Amino acid sequence: MTNPVSRREFLNLLGAYGGTSAVLQAGVALGFMPSSSQAAEITLQANNGKKVAILGTGISALTTAWELTKAGYGCTLLEASHRPGGRMFTVRSGTVIDEIGNYQRCEWDNDPHLYFNAGAARIPSIHSNVLKYCKELEVELQVFVNESKTAWVQDDAMNGGKPVRNTDYSSSMQGFISEMLSKALGDSQLDSSLTESESEILLSMLRRFGDLNEDMLYKGSTRAGYGSGGFLDHGTKKDVVALRDLLKARNGGSVMVTTQEGTGSGPLLMQPVGGMDRIIYAFANRLRDRIKFRAPVTEVMVKGDGVEVAYEQNGVTEVLKADYCFNCIPSHLMSGIPNNFPTDYSEALNYIRRGRAYKAAFQAKERFWEKENIYGGITWVNAPIQQIWYPPHNIHGKKGVVLAAYNFGGANYTEMSQEDRIEDLLKHGEKVHPNYREMAEKPMTIAWHRMNHMLGCAPRWARNRGGWSDKEEQMYETLRQPVNGRHYLIGDQSTQHSAWMESAIQSAHYALADLDQRVRSEPA
Amino acid sequence: MKKLMTSTTLFLSVLCSAASLAAEGDIGVAAAMDDRYCTTCHGVEGLGNIAIEAPRLAGMEAWYLKRQLENFRAGIRGKHGEDLQGNAMRPMAAKLSDESITDIVDWIGDWEYVPAEATIEGNVRQGRTAFQACAACHGANAQGNEALGAPALAGQNDWYLLTQLRNFRAGFRGSHQEDTFGSQMVTMSKTLRDDQAVINVVSYINTL
Repeated sequence: MTNPVSRREFLNLLGAYGGTSAVLQAGVALGFMPSSSQAAEITLQANNGKKVAILGTGISALTTAWELTKAGYGCTLLEASHRPGGRMFTVRSGTVIDEIGNYQRCEWDNDPHLYFNAGAARIPSIHSNVLKYCKELEVELQVFVNESKTAWVQDDAMNGGKPVRNTDYSSSMQGFISEMLSKALGDSQLDSSLTESESEILLSMLRRFGDLNEDMLYKGSTRAGYGSGGFLDHGTKKDVVALRDLLKARNGGSVMVTTQEGTGSGPLLMQPVGGMDRIIYAFANRLRDRIKFRAPVTEVMVKGDGVEVAYEQNGVTEVLKADYCFNCIPSHLMSGIPNNFPTDYSEALNYIRRGRAYKAAFQAKERFWEKENIYGGITWVNAPIQQIWYPPHNIHGKKGVVLAAYNFGGANYTEMSQEDRIEDLLKHGEKVHPNYREMAEKPMTIAWHRMNHMLGCAPRWARNRGGWSDKEEQMYETLRQPVNGRHYLIGDQSTQHSAWMESAIQSAHYALADLDQRVRSEPA
Repeated sequence: MKKLMTSTTLFLSVLCSAASLAAEGDIGVAAAMDDRYCTTCHGVEGLGNIAIEAPRLAGMEAWYLKRQLENFRAGIRGKHGEDLQGNAMRPMAAKLSDESITDIVDWIGDWEYVPAEATIEGNVRQGRTAFQACAACHGANAQGNEALGAPALAGQNDWYLLTQLRNFRAGFRGSHQEDTFGSQMVTMSKTLRDDQAVINVVSYINTL
């Protein structure tokens, strides 16, 4: 028996025989690479008078409610929090951050430009369903600048701790990588896998990619900006930062891949004008009478002919009876709500772990970054704050909101006091911008692990870095099947690419398609 | 449409500024103005949530709850770097006022006691023998003894008892110098010979 060829091996073989275009085409067919994505067409059977209970008001729940309401279903949404949206949450003047034991009320200036997207913050151009709803619900979008070459890279170990411009880092790194690869092309092993013409094209590309000189050496590049002159006078190149120095920075990988749009990140993304929650409110305002706020679910019982959901509102327990239930309550919270789910379904719910994420932001007294030629993008700091974002909107306005930390790992922000979190973001930020502390007004922080009614950020399925185990795939499929054909789990927890609005919306579409098919097949 | 809801609990007037949603200009209601957050982690009516590793509170004695909340607030419990669950709880309690603690304890007192489901299987017979040392303080039926400061163990989530016994044995809980009762438990827990003995004793408590 011969071993089957893995998909990855197959692509390598194909690359050897068919070239890049063959790999690309086959990659799309095998599901490795995103094809140009299309928004889903939702056509539900209309006016059937069915009642649906929707638990939570995250974007998957709102999508479900919106589509079902348009088709004439009777929807009721139960939201435990005082606000809709879950992890699509924008903080502005007056917003309450309902973090457990760290209640904060935002007292920034009341100005529409001054907001902080504390959860979802960026929309890639390939997230077609998010964009489709923005268009349908008339949510105005603007460009979000994800990468600015004039933003900074800072690591205490590099350049004596002084920040270097992104472009100094990335153009030098491109130069050194190109120089090394062009030398390696002389190596017989690498050379033998390429034809003469391929080698020639690759060398020519490397020369331009790295801005190499005629000897194929990197001796600095004007891409990093000029040391002096450049307009009235001839520009002079900056001194080259030695490769050895660049290699002291441990966050270089992040610096180099920000522009790789594919799964989500890219140089140019989008954001709604005024905050990410404009999408949430565009849905919620159209569904307003159907949403019950501060109505936490206290029991979910799936019956033969429907679902009974108990919830508490104003100290009174009510029971909502519905034909179907769509549930986006985070799995780890659902584990604490009495239910009659089958054992394997409950085991799968209990299995998903809750991701940690921490963000912080402050209102800047002045747009100090613009004085440093920065108009958006990300500064990378090798410290737990990891990133500093500059607002790409309201250029040259008076103030702006700076995102002062974005950590999605295991840093200990969750346990830190507000005072310690603020000191932490100031102390790391001022290594990049000397006047940072003076500029920062009223910092706000959010540790999603402690957020009331959330207790976590994006769900984490795979426990091994190598990817999903067979057991995990099996549990995932268990949760994708509706309990008794009545209870659907939705949200990014019910997808294999969590943390994106697009995934959550697609989970709703997947469940809606299943519901529609069941409803259509019912005897009249 | 802006609904301004008044909380059923009334203290913490400091938080009672205008409803946040007035500024949002959209639907929703005012955020809660109390510290009754417990059920988010500890489950509906404090029945416990294994996914959060947050134990059952329903049925827990008022005096014990109060002591633990105060210990968490003061950093007497939950500060050891290896006490992961305690680390998660401590910041939740760090800012609680005395009134909040009283309110929370009263609120939890309203919840019905429902024994937790057993999830751990050990040698019950050996566990029963080992439990004799525990019974001196916690009572023969693990019903607790306020006079000795020993809480009820019966009906508690077994996975929680297991974690706590392991933490006491390792000194992750109870080693703070002001944790008088905890330090007694550090000593007593060491009478259990090994981890299997811990599992056995918890299995026996499940039968009570």
